[in-house]
Amino acid sequence: MLSEKETGRYSRQISYIGEEGQERLKSAHVVLAGTGGLGCPAAAYLCAAGVGRLTLIDSDQVELANLNRQILHWEKDIGRNKVISAREKLEAMNPWVIIEDIFETVTMKNAPALTEQASLIIDALDNFSARYALNHAALQNGIPCIHGAVCGLDGHITTVIPGRTACLQCIFPHPPGGSDVPVIGTTPGIIGLLQAHEAIKLITGIGTVLENRLLIWDGRDSSIATVHLERDPECRACGINSSYATRTGERQ
Amino acid sequence: MKVVVRAFARFREVVGDVNTLDIPEGSGIQELLTALGARSHECRDLLFDEEGRVREHIIVMVNRRRLARNAIASTVLSEEDEVAIYPPVAGG
Ligand SMILES: [Zn+2]
Repeated sequence: MLSEKETGRYSRQISYIGEEGQERLKSAHVVLAGTGGLGCPAAAYLCAAGVGRLTLIDSDQVELANLNRQILHWEKDIGRNKVISAREKLEAMNPWVIIEDIFETVTMKNAPALTEQASLIIDALDNFSARYALNHAALQNGIPCIHGAVCGLDGHITTVIPGRTACLQCIFPHPPGGSDVPVIGTTPGIIGLLQAHEAIKLITGIGTVLENRLLIWDGRDSSIATVHLERDPECRACGINSSYATRTGERQ
Repeated sequence: MKVVVRAFARFREVVGDVNTLDIPEGSGIQELLTALGARSHECRDLLFDEEGRVREHIIVMVNRRRLARNAIASTVLSEEDEVAIYPPVAGG
């Protein structure tokens, strides 16, 4: 049940999604992997929207060069763990949201346990080996995962729904290289917000999500293109020869 | 025949905005990418590895449909086909 204080706080969106929609947000548990350029804006808007439980996962410390885009980390936080820095700001922003911090690197080994309680996962990571691990865990646990990535003025986002859509490995079977990329701060801002937006739609059931669609943002001329995707039957993570297909009975 | 090339992200900086390319009748994706690669060293480096193979991570779309990697060599283009190329980004 929503308290009177909550009903007031969320009144502008309750008039759109109804108290039922707000209750759905409150009972949702979002696991957010990465509290950097994508994770900060995504976490901030999900917290403001009243998602009931937010689990933050990151093993980085705040660095000076993060501050052009990672808006939950401030000058005073340099050297501190990002998950703690982010949790503090989010708790101050909205005391009605339960914030959990997990100081870990996402790996093939820990990802399934880190995400098993989630109603949905947000992939706000910064490298493809951890992203693939998160994708595997999402498939294994049957939990939707909203993937976003950026570089410079470019970004993309898609929503992976196990069994229904192409998974991350179907879409990107080979990891793109590059780390420590140049980033204009607004690029992860835009993609991170789109990830939060997809999450709110998935949780409340409004609109349609980016299922089997890759949205590509080009910040040079602020244009958006969407590309249709399909599952790859040969996919290592969800294809006919994968453990996913065997377990879910998709393999005939 | 004329095909439309849409380049995304880094490719767009190197190849330019939407280009209409005139390629011989019966050409495939491989020929199109080779023609694009011939435009500059930078272009070729973005598209092909040292052995001259199309870089594995590049996403190629024909008429807004993702092309499976093993279909790159066998896909033949028709007049007015739209080919999009996207080098995915990875950062966060
Ligand atoms: Zn897959």
